[in-house]
Amino acid sequence: QISATLVKISFGKESLQSSINKLEKQTGIKFSYNPEDLKGYSVKPNKFKEEKLSSILNYLFAKTQLTFKEISDGIVIYDKTATLKTGLLTDKSSGPDIKTESADITVTGIVSDINGPLPGVSVVIDGGTKGVITNTNGSYSLKAAPDAVLIFSSIGYKTQKININNQTVINVTMVSDLRSLSDVIVVGYGVQKKSDITGAIVSVNEQALRDIPASNIGQALQGQAAGVDIQKSGGNSHPGATPSILIRGNRSINASNAPLIVVDGLPFNGSLNDINPDDIVSLEVLKDASSTAIYGSRGANGVLLVSTRRGKKGGTNITYSGYAGFNKPLGNYNIMNGPQFEDLKKWGLINGNPGKYSGLDDPAFLTDGSFAPQEVASIKSGRSTDWQKLIYKTGFVTDHQLGVSGGTDLTQYAISGGYYNETGIYFGQSFVRYSIKLSIDQQLGKNVKIGLSSLNTLSYTNGENANPLGQALRASPLSTPYDDATGQLVGFTAGSANQVWNPLANFVPGAAVETRKRFGTFTTAYAEVNLAPGLKYRFNGGAEIRPDIYGNYYASATTNNLGGASTANNQSTYSYNYTLENILTYDRTIAQKHHINFTGLYSLQESQSQSNSFSYNNILSDGIQYFNPQYGANLSGSGSYSKWDIISYMARVNYGFANKYLLTLTMRSDGSSRLAPGNKYHVFPSAAAAWNVTQEPMFKDSHVLSNLKLRVSYGTVGNTAINPYQTLGALTSVNYNFGSTNLTGAYPTNVPNPNLTWEYTSTLNAGADFGFLDGRITGAVEAYHQYTRSLLLPLSLPPTSGIPNSILTNVGQTQNKGIEISLASVNIQGNGRNSFSWTTSANITFNRGKVTKLASGVTQDITNGLFVGQPINAIFDYKKVGIWQNTAADTAQAKSLGLTTTGTGSVIGTIRVEDVNKDGKISASDRIVLGSDQPKYTGGFTNRIAYKGFDFTVVGVYRVGGLITSKLFQSGSFINTFQGNYNNINEDYWTPTNHQNFYPKPNSASTNTPYSSLLSYFDGTFLKIRSATLGYYMPESITKRIKARSLRIYATAQNPFILFSPYRNTFHGLDPETAGSLNVDTPPTKSFTFGINMTL
Amino acid sequence: CKKTLVEAPKSTLTPAFFTTTQGFQAGLTAAYAGFRTIWGPDTYFEMTVPGTDEFIAGNDGNNGLVKYNSNFNTADGIVAGIWKNCYTYINTCNGLIDNAPSGLDAATKASLIGEAKFLRANYYFILVQFWGDVTLNKSFQATPTTSATRAPMADVYTFIIQDLKDAIAALPTGPLTNGVQPGRATKAAAEHMLAKVYLTRAGSSAKQADDYKNAYTNAIDLITNVAPGAGLKLQQDFGKVFAEGNETNSEILWTVQHTTTLAYNGSATQNNSGPDNLLCHLFVPKYEVQPGMQRSTLYGRPYIRVVPTHWLTDTVFKERVNDQRYNKTFQTMWLCNNAASIPNWPNPLPAGAPAGAQPGAPKYTVGDTAIWMPGYAMTSSQIAGYRYQVIPPGKYSIALSPAMIKYFDTKRPDQNSPSSRPIIIYRLAETYLIAAEALYMDGRATDAVSYINAVRERAAYPSGNVVAMDITADKLSLDFILDERSRELCGELVRWLDLVRTGKLLERVKLHNTDGKSNIKPFHVLRPIPQTQIDATITGTPYPQNPGW
Repeated sequence: QISATLVKISFGKESLQSSINKLEKQTGIKFSYNPEDLKGYSVKPNKFKEEKLSSILNYLFAKTQLTFKEISDGIVIYDKTATLKTGLLTDKSSGPDIKTESADITVTGIVSDINGPLPGVSVVIDGGTKGVITNTNGSYSLKAAPDAVLIFSSIGYKTQKININNQTVINVTMVSDLRSLSDVIVVGYGVQKKSDITGAIVSVNEQALRDIPASNIGQALQGQAAGVDIQKSGGNSHPGATPSILIRGNRSINASNAPLIVVDGLPFNGSLNDINPDDIVSLEVLKDASSTAIYGSRGANGVLLVSTRRGKKGGTNITYSGYAGFNKPLGNYNIMNGPQFEDLKKWGLINGNPGKYSGLDDPAFLTDGSFAPQEVASIKSGRSTDWQKLIYKTGFVTDHQLGVSGGTDLTQYAISGGYYNETGIYFGQSFVRYSIKLSIDQQLGKNVKIGLSSLNTLSYTNGENANPLGQALRASPLSTPYDDATGQLVGFTAGSANQVWNPLANFVPGAAVETRKRFGTFTTAYAEVNLAPGLKYRFNGGAEIRPDIYGNYYASATTNNLGGASTANNQSTYSYNYTLENILTYDRTIAQKHHINFTGLYSLQESQSQSNSFSYNNILSDGIQYFNPQYGANLSGSGSYSKWDIISYMARVNYGFANKYLLTLTMRSDGSSRLAPGNKYHVFPSAAAAWNVTQEPMFKDSHVLSNLKLRVSYGTVGNTAINPYQTLGALTSVNYNFGSTNLTGAYPTNVPNPNLTWEYTSTLNAGADFGFLDGRITGAVEAYHQYTRSLLLPLSLPPTSGIPNSILTNVGQTQNKGIEISLASVNIQGNGRNSFSWTTSANITFNRGKVTKLASGVTQDITNGLFVGQPINAIFDYKKVGIWQNTAADTAQAKSLGLTTTGTGSVIGTIRVEDVNKDGKISASDRIVLGSDQPKYTGGFTNRIAYKGFDFTVVGVYRVGGLITSKLFQSGSFINTFQGNYNNINEDYWTPTNHQNFYPKPNSASTNTPYSSLLSYFDGTFLKIRSATLGYYMPESITKRIKARSLRIYATAQNPFILFSPYRNTFHGLDPETAGSLNVDTPPTKSFTFGINMTL
Repeated sequence: CKKTLVEAPKSTLTPAFFTTTQGFQAGLTAAYAGFRTIWGPDTYFEMTVPGTDEFIAGNDGNNGLVKYNSNFNTADGIVAGIWKNCYTYINTCNGLIDNAPSGLDAATKASLIGEAKFLRANYYFILVQFWGDVTLNKSFQATPTTSATRAPMADVYTFIIQDLKDAIAALPTGPLTNGVQPGRATKAAAEHMLAKVYLTRAGSSAKQADDYKNAYTNAIDLITNVAPGAGLKLQQDFGKVFAEGNETNSEILWTVQHTTTLAYNGSATQNNSGPDNLLCHLFVPKYEVQPGMQRSTLYGRPYIRVVPTHWLTDTVFKERVNDQRYNKTFQTMWLCNNAASIPNWPNPLPAGAPAGAQPGAPKYTVGDTAIWMPGYAMTSSQIAGYRYQVIPPGKYSIALSPAMIKYFDTKRPDQNSPSSRPIIIYRLAETYLIAAEALYMDGRATDAVSYINAVRERAAYPSGNVVAMDITADKLSLDFILDERSRELCGELVRWLDLVRTGKLLERVKLHNTDGKSNIKPFHVLRPIPQTQIDATITGTPYPQNPGW
């Protein structure tokens, strides 16, 4: 009996709302109500000692129209004069009765949500005031006219109207309404009701996070939130790869644009893979300066607030979720087969040895060593090896999570254990993670609450650098992995001039071993003390300890050592971070209308990392692997140590007037160890205001415009995302010997820069949250303008400066302007069981970033790729206009530009670039900005339909515009050299008789085809179906039998389609998605998984 | 709290360390190590060996820089790498010279500074020869700069000469002097270099009236006074100069060091990158695809970056009876090392097959000759009389030609490993040739003869006629001296600079270099200022490019 809970509480002269808040916080009991109803009521000061909750509530509601009802896990407060508008219940016992007519029938049923039966749902008859509440089993029973309409409503769920239509059993599945205004969402250092938020915050709910079963939250979040740009880092897709996350574009050019991740209130320094996504129940993205400013310097790139599952009061909840499936390459790299390669090589030799060969059919090719004997045999027999087919296999993925949670009035707990295992699409790649999470919250007496949460993971990543593709794509398709005579694996592949080692050699067990073992705990504890009414002190402490041990061993006969000495490398890293926070909050409502919330913070963050690495070769036995350097030779080692600290003071005031006008003021001061004395401290202010327009009387009854809030914020945050010790300058070590005397030297490669200071980003954000048609269409629009100054920039100096490394300086300014739109629509309102439901959410982000100023007033810095007026990451290169043709006109034109037209260096048949400045020669001054990787717009969408227990969800992401760089197509990848020494991307290249104007001629004399970078820029547009999931809720008849509250099974296809991608469709690339450039890497995969979610 | 924010690096060194005694030693070691990225990789090699009258690009050679075609432009990475490397280590030397710690005794300090100045002079000498007017940083660059200007060549030469004079005064006598470690700078090396610097300036637009005189004065002082006192003399056998295991011989003045302790040899992974010694691979032809052959550590890794010009093998080295250097410079015979690819005699036997040939039987066995390059023309019927492949000069190709063996290293841990042999930069034989060239150019041909003859006489060892090697003053010409330098020094990373110094680059490339003859233009005597330099000079006046580029 919740209402019988003994409570000790005191009320000041405050609003009823604040009294309820106080009760809620103090007791942990969940109150469910429409805040509208509480408005205008105030409370007289009073003290209660060990009073029953019901008495206290009766006292509070004495002179109001309010009453309450206890449900299984909380108290529902409602207006007893009843209104359907609020969708809350009126009860027989408390509302005016209406006479039961004899024709009435008894309707019974069970109301549930996706997790099972739902108690406390109000079931009322439309047009009347009669109603009941579902009991703890979710069941209800009431009498009503056979043609009446029942209204099912509950806080946090969408209200449903169902025609009785002579049915006597009506089971209802409630659809959660996560956009409900009274929902609280997590903000920095606290929670706020959504209606009170003044900043730009996107909230991603658990369901959206579950749509894409993935090893880390980054992959699941892709396309789900406007303004959050998530892409595979460098196109990387091996097991355990983590994507790059960018919030509102590139601000800083320096190493990190990665957002801060805050887990359960404390900064998290581990990798995305160190969090089991199954433990996450919600995720908030803080985007504007007002929201992020409270994290000071660490919030400069945006903040991801991650909340993990905690226990709730009530019965024990046991959940299991699991899935299993397989991965396959999204496609094969488009390289040549035997006959195609044979022709390419011959053309290369013809062009590289002018006059030597008579043509493709010259018999000398087969006898003069141009082709290796095995290749000659293949040519004669028509044999061709598809190396990719030999190395790919089907990868396997499985994930299991078992959770137990529950709690009593005083103690709540949640425990979960997870296991994830993914193997790659070639041998030697895998990622395995074991995770255990535990949280406990304990009330001590009346005023103190303590809690502990611990996230622990142990992961094994195998083969994070395993990449036989470099060899597989280069290997001659005319060679074979097995010796023709002995059938044994060959070492160097035939025809490779001993450059390409048989990629299959790495698959011999024990030949190539690479493992990263990573253990980590992220453990946080808090103690919360109520000091006085409204005044609370909270201590947060968190520590993160992560030992990480890496080892690799490559036998002699591997692609890594090409038959040379076997090698081994060990690295051990110990990193350790802690955060201590002292938070004081004061919350008070004055004169019923003025709500003030103050938060003060003092915090210390420290991070230390230490690592050692040693390598050696010639290991005595393959069995030793990387475990004992004593059995190796030529041992060498290195080590690193770094430590940084941030000391912070923060104050924030939230002021609200009648829930209509809201104001947030924040001030944070950060001191960073990473800057030189004198520049260590800086203060970052921000302010935000919001107006709940629909709280104005004229809109109060509007159904069309059900919600409108206008927000504006401005603030400055700083960034010291620079490595420790950067202000001190650095020497680089180098080894040398004088005869048998071996010495280690050191020389200056970086200069001290004591003037290095914070990088500041000021953001002006204007936003609107809106809801139409009683919330069927909801959304938000944000417009922002960010200015970044004293940009921290790694500046490459002219070589004559004598400083070879780029140095970090505060140079220049950038700006980002953008618009973000999120929309959610209930297209067809239904419950998904007996009525069809269809919801759509979509978001789109427009961001325009550019450099606005560089040091010393220069307008371009070619070396560092910075151009005033252009985005960061501008592509600066020559302009390709085709291929020089073997016509008299082209030859004359080339000659007039000073180009060679004879011999092996002849430009005829090579890429033709434009003499942009028309000075009659091709020179470096003909380079121009060709574009940048900045897309025109990006976004994502989710469509969800449900009927008869089935649900089908499609999640897509899209990206339009922007130039991507695929280094595969550059000669440096070794698979597009057009030299004929290695296999080549399968392209229709130029020959004297094929006057095609895009791909150049093969030339054996040229290691790289000139201007090959111009072959690597592509339109980055794509639409990718990230996942398509078909799920089914098992009917009660089955769930009852296994005593489960709910059981859902599903099948998901991940990345089944990539559409509208010129890179893929026209140029036969695999996947245009990349942060950075695409390389010769593990090909992207598509996967199919099957899973179940069960609650007992 | 204040203390919490103070940084104390533990795993990295900061420039402050540079001003301690230990730091000075470490900096000097690094300044030496910088030469490993010049002498050893294929970059400086491509800038000096091919593109001359001696060598053209091989099968896997460069298709721009060494052919003077339009692929060679200001973006060339080879040129940019050498440029950057020089300036990085010049700054190291500047730091040493400017900030020498006070804790050292005067003599040690002077000697260490002398080493630093010798090294700095070498880096600047490379710059001024390839690029002409260059930025002259005389002191340590403690603050970052994005501007730069070019100093007149004359100033750079003056600076180099002063450094070398200071070094000569401070350094120990020679590499064999007691207590001098191999690879260290010595007075002998500095004096050799000073002679070469004067000789080179004399051939430039910055020439001074007494340059030739100063060149031979220093060279002759080294030959007649310094060397004998320091135990330095020409090796009796030309072949021994480069013999494996004889890396600290009496002829060597200065080397870039490498070691069989692989952690200190070059790149950390010994993967033929960065500071590794690759010279062992660069001249190796594609013998491995020939019948009866496969790759071996003995014959080397066929990078085949260059092959000799016909002029080099057939004209310059034409005399092979008294002059023994051809056979000690080139490999012309390969012994069968692969039973699997030994060819069989056809049936019926071809006309002129040697006695003992059996149809269907292997032509030879492992250990027999598989390839032979006689070095003179043979008729096809003569060739038919051999069991193995005979390649006369007319059949030389960019894949298979005589292999220059001075850098071969047969003791590498495996067939693809880089070399661990030191690389000779200066040797006494060149001092003789410098003396001869300077004397001749100064109008003293008669005096020059004895120096050139000293080198030629040694070349006759062991079986040649020493007297027949001697030449007389009337035979002497600049062309003869250049030819003699080829016979003595071919492949030793000096030729392109020799041709520029003597003003013969265009003439000789047009005559002998089939790659570059139709492409080379007068502006090619200077390398382009790297685009990276021009692009990064974003403040002050734009960095000027060399004319014609």
